[in-house]
Amino acid sequence: MAFDLTIKYAGEGGEGVISSGDFTMRAAANLGYDVVTFKSFPAEIKGGYALSQVRISDEKILSQGDGFDILVAFNGEAYEVNKPLLRKGNVLIWDGPEGGDFEPEIEELEEKGVILYAVPMSKLAKEEVGAYITKNVIAMASVFTLFDFPIEVLKEEIVKKFSRKGEDVVNLNFKAIEVAQKYIKENIKKIDPYKLPGPKPKKDVIIVEGNEAIALGAAAAGVKVFAAYPITPATTVGNYLAPIILKTGGYVYQAEDEISSMAIVVGASFAGVKAMTATSGPGVSLMQELIGLASMTETPAVIVDVQRGGPSTGMPTKHDQADLFAAALGGHGDDQRVVIAPTNVEENFHLTIEAFNLAERYQLPVLFLTDASLSLRAEAIPTPNIKEIQSKLIERPTLKKGEVNPEDIQNIYRYQITEDGLSPFLAPGESPKPYTATGLEHGENSYPRTTPKERTEMMDKRFRKIQNIEDENPHLIEWDLGDLQEGEKADIAIITWGLTASIAKEAIQRLRKKGIKVAALYPKLVYPVPKKAIEKVASMADIVLVPEANYMGHLAKFIRMFTDVPPSKIVQFNIYRGEPFIPKEIEEKVEELLGKQVQA
Amino acid sequence: MDIQFVRLEEKLPPREYKSDLEPTWCPGCGDFGVVTALTRAFSEEKLDPSALSLVSGIGCSSRLPLWMNAFGLHSCHGRAVPAAVGVRLAKPEIPTIVTAGDGDLFSIGMEHFPHAARKNFNMVVISMDNRMYALTKNQVSPTSRKGYKGSLTPYGNIDEPFNVLAFSIASGATFVAQTYAGNPKHMTEIIEKAIEHPGFAFVNILSPCPTYNKIDTFKYYKGRLIDINNELGHDPSDKEKANYYAEHALDADNPDAENLEPFHGKVPIGVFYQTRKETFEEKVAKLKEQYKPENPDTVWDEILNKYKP
Ligand SMILES: Cc1ncc(C[n+]2csc(CCOP(=O)(O)OP(=O)(O)O)c2C)c(N)n1
Ligand code: SF4
Repeated sequence: MAFDLTIKYAGEGGEGVISSGDFTMRAAANLGYDVVTFKSFPAEIKGGYALSQVRISDEKILSQGDGFDILVAFNGEAYEVNKPLLRKGNVLIWDGPEGGDFEPEIEELEEKGVILYAVPMSKLAKEEVGAYITKNVIAMASVFTLFDFPIEVLKEEIVKKFSRKGEDVVNLNFKAIEVAQKYIKENIKKIDPYKLPGPKPKKDVIIVEGNEAIALGAAAAGVKVFAAYPITPATTVGNYLAPIILKTGGYVYQAEDEISSMAIVVGASFAGVKAMTATSGPGVSLMQELIGLASMTETPAVIVDVQRGGPSTGMPTKHDQADLFAAALGGHGDDQRVVIAPTNVEENFHLTIEAFNLAERYQLPVLFLTDASLSLRAEAIPTPNIKEIQSKLIERPTLKKGEVNPEDIQNIYRYQITEDGLSPFLAPGESPKPYTATGLEHGENSYPRTTPKERTEMMDKRFRKIQNIEDENPHLIEWDLGDLQEGEKADIAIITWGLTASIAKEAIQRLRKKGIKVAALYPKLVYPVPKKAIEKVASMADIVLVPEANYMGHLAKFIRMFTDVPPSKIVQFNIYRGEPFIPKEIEEKVEELLGKQVQA
Repeated sequence: MDIQFVRLEEKLPPREYKSDLEPTWCPGCGDFGVVTALTRAFSEEKLDPSALSLVSGIGCSSRLPLWMNAFGLHSCHGRAVPAAVGVRLAKPEIPTIVTAGDGDLFSIGMEHFPHAARKNFNMVVISMDNRMYALTKNQVSPTSRKGYKGSLTPYGNIDEPFNVLAFSIASGATFVAQTYAGNPKHMTEIIEKAIEHPGFAFVNILSPCPTYNKIDTFKYYKGRLIDINNELGHDPSDKEKANYYAEHALDADNPDAENLEPFHGKVPIGVFYQTRKETFEEKVAKLKEQYKPENPDTVWDEILNKYKP
């Protein structure tokens, strides 16, 4: 049985809840474990309920899991919020028996089978350490001591983080660790079974959050202009990129609004460099006209949409997957766009690079749909080999001065009609032949044209570019068949996207252990809809379950709209509460569906 | 930090800056004059058509890049300025000229202009000011005079016109000028100065629309212009005076304009204001220099090491 432990720190924002999770995660990663964190901040700047949950395993972690094993409650609110979630076998570490602001229902919980340890974090911090701000260090050190995490690793992390602030700060934190260790030793009798098995071989990893991974991916892809307007939960993409991009030769520009951001992206890319923006739903709404301009002028552009709960201002810090319609079909007229969606942090990195590759290859806007939860989720991902990545980047076919004979230049057109629809790119300062990119319908030479023949030819040309996009990008469609062969009969097919896919994956593994045959497909290319793969996986079962964190069932509707999967087979499964699925929900949904089917 | 524009060694004749497309503008449109002046100024400035960008929005006037032999971006209504900012950020060595209408720049695109101005991007922004919306067949624009009859205001414009010159100075533009489509010589000179100016250069060109605007016509402007530099001896580095002149730029609309100081019914043209400030591009170049990696080969090791546990 694999080792799998989830620790949740919860309390008031600003009390060190989030950094407790970060320290614990780093320590575990340093010991060679796989880690995934889930954090939630209040929308308020200060105060409010905050949580940081760390899942630690010696196997690849797919999702944040169903719940937690250990809860560290910093205050009464954290306790109240999490009390209904406490199960048999869980450990509750709480701020008591004195000095805290609450008292748990000890008897009731013990009856339930919850193990309680009272550690007076506030009191120890105030009285023994003499600094209330060390409360979270007491909490962490208690966790480390109780569950056999080597305390030296925590000390190393503290040195790393605080050595800049001076020896006094480091010593204060060390003192808090000692106080906690002493308290646990003298007062707590361990009766739970949780214990970290000891260090594993260290892996070459980096620890990054979802939005950090996007920033790194963009820099690795060679982005030169990043223009954006602040919006939760997308702002941090720019925050992370700003210092990096100066070193890699670009610039992060804070624009006056999202319309400007997108116009800047089009202008910069028209000038011949890679450009992107990052925003959330409200920003995408403002950008739509200019995304259409990128389509019409065949200008590569990358638009990151870190989805949040909508519509309107909605729930700015909460999880949602409801921008797919807007991303794919939000423009006016028949425009050409590509929408891709990562399912985890590692893909946030690699698919950002892929977004640039697709934009450059097909000369069009690529929308990258991630979400609020994924933006804050941290994972330890294999350290990327940037040199190798950069050697494989796809670049637009810019015609350079001196590359063509002067007499041939007149036969080169920016919108040359070709079999695959792709035309040469021309850039100021690089190419020998100027042209004017226009949002008006145009001929091959970019001159405005409206004859029925030319209009039809140009529209066909532009759509031809992405006609075979599914076949050309098999790596953007993940098959998960378990022991099944393609086409073999399964009990159920599951198709899902984004963060929900990584959660479904965990549920599917559990279902397979129970003998249920599941054929699953996780399209990273969500639009144009990968018709062939979807039809194939759907053909393997009588039920096609599509779990999504949105009300309308965006992907499910796309499957009806763009594929020949019989609509009667498609079962939507939607949550829209502002939190991601947990694996258990999907597991139970499948069991419910299959149970019903057996009875029928 | 000096960022040089790409330039040719030899002058090209002005016609080399024209594309094969014949403008679809109405005969007598003021915007023809702007094309002529631009081609002459480009020739004088030895700009390279393959390293020059003209950026516009949507409107009769915004079609201008299509008639030119240069890299053009005919973008969306109102978005000429940010699209040009994109070009500036991408390639500061490419001279960038916005050629748009008064509606495009000061109505739908209003949120962009003052920001590009205060940041002092090194670009020229030309407003072809016909004091109305022409492409959509005659509506009032922010610069329309009071009483002007547009299709949506058949009873006459009840608003005062917006003073784009005073606004530009207030926004932080470092070069602010007005010229007239009926005076190719003055227009060419002003455009040349604007191109040479390192920083945000705003040029308002009074450019009549004979098809719809029967008030602000060539006939109206004839004999009514006053050159503030040559005739009034205005020194553009005098900001106080620049503001004063700009404030009165629309006085001629007034029925008793004859009696009003300082223009007495005349419409002012010339350079109102000019100052030298560090451009946005220069500031970015400095930052890039300051933070440039010591060893580009190992820059990624440095970046990734920060993320190691
Ligand atoms: C988003 C959007 N709204 C409206 C229009 C319609 N439209 C095109 S040009 C124009 C006004 C142009 O006025 P101006 O910029 O002064 O140029 P002119 O035609 O007078 O030269 C309008 C409203 C449009 N193209 N796009
Ligand atoms: S309508 Fe007016 S502005 Fe437009 S082309 Fe004709 S004259 Fe020029």
